Amino acid sequence: MKFDPVEFEVFKNLFVSIAEEMGVTLCRTAFSPNIKERLDYSCAIYDRNGDTIAQGDHMPVHLGAMPLSVRAAIQKCAMAPGDVVALNDPFEGGTHLPDITLVAPVYLARDRKPAFYVANRAHHSDVGGMSPGSMPLATELFQEGLIIPPVALVRRHQVVADVLQLILSNVRTPDEREGDLTAQIAANRVAELRLREVVTKYGRRKVERYATDVQDYTERIVRKTVAELPDGEYCYEDALDDDGLSDRLVWIRVAIRIDGERAEVDFTGSDPETKGSVNANYAISLSATLYAFRCLVSDDVPYNAGVGRVVRVIAPEGSIVSARRPAAVAGGNVETSQRITDVVLGALARAVPGRVPAASQGTMNNVTLGGTDPRSGRRFAYYETIGGGMGGRNGAAGLSGVHTHMSNTRNTPVEAIEHYLPVRILQYRLRNGSGGGGRYAGGDGIIREYEVQCDTDVTILSDRRRKPPYGACDGQEGAPGRNVLIRSGREEALPSKVQLHLRAHDRLRIETPGGGGYGQGEG
Amino acid sequence: MSVRIGVDTGGTFTDLVVLDERGLTIHKVRSTPEDPSTAIVQGLSEAAGEIANGEIVHGSTVATNAVLEERGARVALITTAGFEDVLRIGRQTRRALYDFMVTARRTLVPPELTFGLSERVAADGEVLEPIQPDQLDAVIARLRAQNPEAVAVCLLHSYVNASHEEAVAARLSTWQVPVSCSHHVLPEYREFERWSTTVINAYVTPLMARYLASLEAHIGTARLRIMQSNGGSIAAATARSTAVRTILSGPAAGVVGARAVAETAGVSRIISFDMGGTSTDVSLIDQTVAVTTESMIADCPLRLPIIDIHTVGAGGGSIACIDAGGALRVGPRSAGADPGPACYGQGTELTVTDANLLLGRLDPTYFLGGRMVLDVERPRRLAEDLAKRAALTVRALAQGIIRVANANMERAIRVVSVRRGFDPRDFALLAFGGAGGMHACEIAAALEMRTVIVPRYAGVLSALGMLLADVKKDYSRSVLRPADTLCEGELRELFQPLMAQAEKEMAEEGFADASLVVECAVDVRYIGQSYEITVPLVSEYRDEFDRRHARLYGYSNPRRPIEVVNARVLAVGLARKPELPWTSYEVKRRATACRMRDSVFDGRSYQTAIYRHEDLVPGSGGDGPALVASEMATTVIPPGFQFQVDEAGNVIASGRTRRPRRVRKPEDLAAVQVSSAARFSDGRARL
Repeated sequence: MKFDPVEFEVFKNLFVSIAEEMGVTLCRTAFSPNIKERLDYSCAIYDRNGDTIAQGDHMPVHLGAMPLSVRAAIQKCAMAPGDVVALNDPFEGGTHLPDITLVAPVYLARDRKPAFYVANRAHHSDVGGMSPGSMPLATELFQEGLIIPPVALVRRHQVVADVLQLILSNVRTPDEREGDLTAQIAANRVAELRLREVVTKYGRRKVERYATDVQDYTERIVRKTVAELPDGEYCYEDALDDDGLSDRLVWIRVAIRIDGERAEVDFTGSDPETKGSVNANYAISLSATLYAFRCLVSDDVPYNAGVGRVVRVIAPEGSIVSARRPAAVAGGNVETSQRITDVVLGALARAVPGRVPAASQGTMNNVTLGGTDPRSGRRFAYYETIGGGMGGRNGAAGLSGVHTHMSNTRNTPVEAIEHYLPVRILQYRLRNGSGGGGRYAGGDGIIREYEVQCDTDVTILSDRRRKPPYGACDGQEGAPGRNVLIRSGREEALPSKVQLHLRAHDRLRIETPGGGGYGQGEG
Repeated sequence: MSVRIGVDTGGTFTDLVVLDERGLTIHKVRSTPEDPSTAIVQGLSEAAGEIANGEIVHGSTVATNAVLEERGARVALITTAGFEDVLRIGRQTRRALYDFMVTARRTLVPPELTFGLSERVAADGEVLEPIQPDQLDAVIARLRAQNPEAVAVCLLHSYVNASHEEAVAARLSTWQVPVSCSHHVLPEYREFERWSTTVINAYVTPLMARYLASLEAHIGTARLRIMQSNGGSIAAATARSTAVRTILSGPAAGVVGARAVAETAGVSRIISFDMGGTSTDVSLIDQTVAVTTESMIADCPLRLPIIDIHTVGAGGGSIACIDAGGALRVGPRSAGADPGPACYGQGTELTVTDANLLLGRLDPTYFLGGRMVLDVERPRRLAEDLAKRAALTVRALAQGIIRVANANMERAIRVVSVRRGFDPRDFALLAFGGAGGMHACEIAAALEMRTVIVPRYAGVLSALGMLLADVKKDYSRSVLRPADTLCEGELRELFQPLMAQAEKEMAEEGFADASLVVECAVDVRYIGQSYEITVPLVSEYRDEFDRRHARLYGYSNPRRPIEVVNARVLAVGLARKPELPWTSYEVKRRATACRMRDSVFDGRSYQTAIYRHEDLVPGSGGDGPALVASEMATTVIPPGFQFQVDEAGNVIASGRTRRPRRVRKPEDLAAVQVSSAARFSDGRARL
């Protein structure tokens, strides 16, 4: 069949709308603030091989990595109609343990094999492990929480009671987890239903064909974009402040080789994996790299498997960008992913300086709180991330107080947190002057100050507290972030990654980094 | 009988629908954008004559345009110290994921007009830090020095304890400046959304007050009511202080008008489809119009009840192009009114309207009743270029553009139906707007909807809706309590003050007893969720919530405890309505075509009859392919469809159903069941 630009456009939008509808269902029926308020989830549909057809505009760090979950589920579990496979194992398709991915097959007629797969990933605010919120400063994976290899959570439309019970028995907030998992199952069901409707309407051959065509289409566009980059090798390096256990910088180095319409992104020379939990697995490095290339494409092209066909990622095993079991990984997904993006963009800036912005805040400022609410006697585990400054762009200052690059989660309203948790927020404002100067200044970070109302365990996983976000084209660096403990009126500076036990009325102030400036001079 | 008049101010025309002892008459005058009241006054004197005892219901775009065109008041914001940037930070997200040049959201208050006040109320209403009067005075002094035209007072947790906002407002009252308090505008939790709604109110109030004063001065003793976005009207005096409630009143009135027209055609379930030049509004009506509290205007959340209208940025003026990957795109860029589609003579890019013309679905000599002659050559040349690049024939390209545009519209209709748990096949498609009738039949066919209605009054549906709208007022308060801790008596107590306020205010508008309906509802969710579903307050509201949750999201769990988030009261004062003529199909006769021309459908050329909508008598009809052209718009009847004109002059089209209606198969049901068997084996989805 020859390419039909008309029908193609119809299908392209159809596929994306299915992924978006999954997201609506998940967010509206989920129970934990992290999913329902902050939208820390992603949804996508896949072809028979597990290649992405379309995904919603959700979390960039999830989206590049989820195909590996689908592939792991296909390899490890025979999925019958009505089954749903759950997994979070970072070394079998996952990224870090709180991200639980649910994969479901879509069977058509009496087929023996699924014609499509649907999957969604959501960040659960607790999956057990050594600290509430499951983002601890661990030294091995086993401390970080319950490890779920690909396993059937639903068989023939019935939840497998003992698997669910096993999960719920290992987490601090089982009711919330059960509600969130139910919402995830429902989201997959919605996508399955929609795909069936589309097949009923258009016929399966056509649907399958366009599922392939959209990937080819994206590939064509990305190829064109890469071909426009000047051939050559472009290197860059940048570092994480530390791994949370020592104060040694952790370097990530990249060489990007552009050859015609192909790109090779080689992380050889990056530091070895660390004892602390900032290790990224291959899926994360792939996500971050593909994200950077996707941003170079100017049209609003659907993000699917086509992007990955153009860019080859080399990440040496055992390094910080491709850790091995049982390395601790909680921070790899949220912090190291940001630095990988910074490094890849830094290298791309050497190829096309005008098109790449200065570094953004380069961290997600993860804060987890846990304890027992004295008002109700119930346990709570809460997780949030805080926005910061975006780097200046060629033609515009960076935005202030937003999530950048690999994250786009929302805040939890102050009035919602204070209603549901024994915590008060004392200030939530922009950190004036933190953006780097330049022709186009970096955006400002955020100041968020918490006062706990009872004994509370806190984990902070943050970065860019020492090494600031870089400026571009002679723009200035953004201000590094600060974590401050205020106890009995005295301020104490905290490291970038820290685990604390707070007493009632202790305060914690997080000042997030500003973005780097772009270009010389004043804006 | 005193006269009642619906007046809709549009960009080009001001429409008046007059109801008096003679019945319904329609009048159009050119709009006067510099002062919309000029056109209104002219129209009134031409159309109605004596209106001294009459009533005018007016839908105004004054508030909407003020926000969209950034012409609102200079607003100062007083907020809890430490939270001055809440409106700038928003939800801390960027609106495009993969775009380095993503732009910031707009905010309506500049930083130098934002003032933090040291004070604090806790989530349970306890005052943690009282306001210091001298500090408040100092803040107000600094604020006055900036000379704002309106003030918004937005403090944390004011929905549970409003005393601090009230204290600030009292202090400001000695000074002549309109004050909007967040607990007054929207007493619900979530600071960003509440404050945003409040600031929009402050932003549009001064302009609205001036506009209404000028209008009232012109109309003498006639009573003036203003259309709201919730589909009801309010007294002009009320609109002056809560102008935010009038935003989006035009489209809302269109939906009310659509519902009324459908009713006269004996249809109670419709999807209204208003396709204009740059955007299309779609709304689902299942006996009653659907209302939502989640909307946005120009980047700012607006959390007041408004008619649930889904808008897509595509219409007759949407531009077609071939993108870098070879796909045919239609929109989101639009040729708008200027330069307009290529066939208007100026445009340099091909639009949906041009494609319709190239396919012979528009009569170039009878566009807008013959007031404009369309240029056929210009779009043809553009189409030849584009077709070459897409390796298509001109005909295939034009059909492709229609197909892509229709697919966008189908998706919009699915958003308001399938995504909300409704099957579009159970609804009729009611099309209006400049382009609605040209696409309705094909879209309906694609969605297996059986009936298309194009109203006789398609051109003045909003004005008609205003005339027909009841007076409506919404009241709400945050509750945030688990349902099992709320006994019936307590719940009644919570509603008591809202009901009392509703009855008092409606009495002031002249409604009581038989002419007043008060409806109570609760926003409910499973404890732990963040999105609520509004259900009527009946003793089994819990069951109703489970039912609606299952319909919307595919599952429910009757054992999971629920929480009452908000209490809502809707007071409806019943308006006197005109009797629109009812449909009767007894007379049937073949309509006479005024001309024939060639039109293309499904790649084939057909001899197509052209009818003038105005000339068709009730009962007459015909078979497709046909074009029914009116002064306002054209209805395309494709081959396989037939149409008939009803007593009210509406065109009713229906297709030969290609296949029998598919009944939902049991496997579909199974597919949406989520039985979380571990804890509640009976937690089956109820559908």
